[in-house]
Amino acid sequence: MAAPSIEPARPATLRLAFSPDLESAREVSVAIRHFLAEQGVAERELFSYELCIAEASSNAVEYAEGPLKCIKPIAEALCTPTQIELRVTDHTAGFALRERLSAPSPLTDRGRGLFLIQSVMDEVRYLRGTNENILVMRKKRLSSAAPKEALSRSPSEAPSLEKCQLQLAEANTKMEIMADELQLRSETLASVFRCCAELGSIDNASDGFEGRILIDLLHLTSADWYVLRMLSPDGRRLVVSAASESDLDSGPVELWANGNVSACIEKLVAVGQKAARFDMRECFDPAEPLRAVGPEGTGHVCPLSFGGTLVGTIAVGRRSGDFPLGRLQDEVIRAFAEFLAIQTLNLRRQREDVRSRVITRELEIAQDIQHLLLPRTLPQLSGFGLAGGWQSAREVGGDFYDAIALGDQSLLLMIADVMGKGVPAALFATTMRGLLRGLASHGSDPSKLLSELNRLLYNELSSVSMFITAQIVRVDLKARELTAASAGHCPPLFVLPGRRSVSSMPIRGLPLGVMPDTVYPRLTARMGSPAAVLLYTDGLTDTRNAAGETYGMHRLKAWLRVNANPGRTAMELRDRLATDLNQYRGDAVIDDDQAFLILTEERVGASPRAARPIRLRRGSFLFPACACELKVGQ
Amino acid sequence: MKIEILGPCLSVSEIQELTAVNSARFRDEVNAALTGSTMLIEVNLSKTRFMDSSGLGALFALYRATAQRDGVTLRLLSPMPEIQQLLELTQMQQLFEIVRR
Repeated sequence: MAAPSIEPARPATLRLAFSPDLESAREVSVAIRHFLAEQGVAERELFSYELCIAEASSNAVEYAEGPLKCIKPIAEALCTPTQIELRVTDHTAGFALRERLSAPSPLTDRGRGLFLIQSVMDEVRYLRGTNENILVMRKKRLSSAAPKEALSRSPSEAPSLEKCQLQLAEANTKMEIMADELQLRSETLASVFRCCAELGSIDNASDGFEGRILIDLLHLTSADWYVLRMLSPDGRRLVVSAASESDLDSGPVELWANGNVSACIEKLVAVGQKAARFDMRECFDPAEPLRAVGPEGTGHVCPLSFGGTLVGTIAVGRRSGDFPLGRLQDEVIRAFAEFLAIQTLNLRRQREDVRSRVITRELEIAQDIQHLLLPRTLPQLSGFGLAGGWQSAREVGGDFYDAIALGDQSLLLMIADVMGKGVPAALFATTMRGLLRGLASHGSDPSKLLSELNRLLYNELSSVSMFITAQIVRVDLKARELTAASAGHCPPLFVLPGRRSVSSMPIRGLPLGVMPDTVYPRLTARMGSPAAVLLYTDGLTDTRNAAGETYGMHRLKAWLRVNANPGRTAMELRDRLATDLNQYRGDAVIDDDQAFLILTEERVGASPRAARPIRLRRGSFLFPACACELKVGQ
Repeated sequence: MKIEILGPCLSVSEIQELTAVNSARFRDEVNAALTGSTMLIEVNLSKTRFMDSSGLGALFALYRATAQRDGVTLRLLSPMPEIQQLLELTQMQQLFEIVRR
């Protein structure tokens, strides 16, 4: 035979859900009267209890509105040798219960019901949830007569019969306990399912979610208070998220504070992630937040955690120590705590998922913006090829380039790097590109173009503390001459005439947006044969490998010297450079944007390619070279 | 519930209980039985075992109806102790003549 479990004394309980009509409400009050009579409650007390249940049940029926009218109210009686507790759960909008109502005038027809309840009971509380509230009414018993069954037992009965009756009574008790347990578990499940259904049907799932489920918890465990604390986003404190009554809403509990902060119950439960029972009669810490439940308060504190992730704590209990929560109630609280933790984590994940989807969409839009920043087609040149490559560390980078055909067998190449990234950088890039195209129709001197761009952009850039580094190179294809000016940008590289070596054009200038009225010096150089010019942003030379070493200017020059061979098209060079950079980087994360523009002299007769950009990977475009007649004004 | 008209006296008796369930019917039936010659209304509460605030409301409605008629007396007969206590708690005993028989 199994050893009997040690259980705190449990009250005799009757719970009745009733149809939401006045006749059923009345039947329930009669049934509870009979139940209390069976528990030995004195006849003179029964009228008061019947009256209170009748009043509260009628109110629960009369004040329910809309769809809530269909939900069954519940009436309960909990009986101990010293106290009667009556509860009526309504599904109404609820009301604010005042401490003590004064007697209504005999000449008015309102306010008598609650007044009567407060007059005949010792303590009345109204626990409000979301469209579910519990009116709790308590009264100390005047007498403690034994239940009628015990009184009715005759001492003259034969021992064998008495023994049989005792066994039968024990069996009945066990059956009742099992039935109670089954009922409790099924109602717990029903409550959990109802909450799940609500979570699925409301837009903002957190609205009233905890309030509803915790009122259910009070209901199922016969508890009369709860305090729900949630972990703050920084994980350092437990903040009251919901409490059954306002006097329990104390300040936050610091979890990791040093010094003389007392180790309160909820903190110990949260840190240890282990549930605990408490009894205020055995707690002598004046700073304990749960003292608010009263000097005789008892309860159970559970961590809200799932998979080791702490979300908060839930404390549930009774204000008086008359019948502390038992093992079964503890189990229900633990089940609810786990459910709350799972739902809270699910809600967070849902929100993060939505946020992530929004960010992804925003970034896709931003990438489309970036795509628009780069020219869709590059000028088509006779005997020369032009190709550009771009790769971004993020979806919207600040690097961009452009090429504008001029009307004199020459073209302007521009490459720039807007400080920062994201949409602000893209907006400046768009503006600058538009301005350059407008200015280029009036003149093609790189020096003057940069001065003018600086003049036009200075106020906007300086007002947001941004700047742009830029390089403009005018290429005279006929004279094979380069004229360049730089606004703090990397020097362009080109193959020197007459020998197979690569040089950089040592030009300097302040970035755009640093100083007003800046003058940009120009530098002229002759292109070798076959000609090759490379404009690039510092993302190329700053490319890092897994060891953290940069690609560097020396390596870039060497690459151009080795690869700028006769017969190699600009597109081939672009692909080779992109491959070389990616191979160098290996598995290292790209941490800066990369953009480059290659002009090369291709052998005559190289087949033209389609001018549509090829998307190689996310955030990367390569633009094909062309080898056709230069079209004037294009 | 039993309603009898004996000349100027309207007698209401056999009321088992007066609650939210039957208070509206009580009010309507008693009002319907009132005539111009009614001078005395006796509500016999000797068998009324239970009454709630709706029942009290029905008695109050009857009080108002009789207050509008000059010279009509409203009398409650032999309420049980619990009902008497209820009337006192709500100070409604001031409104009625309560007679024990």
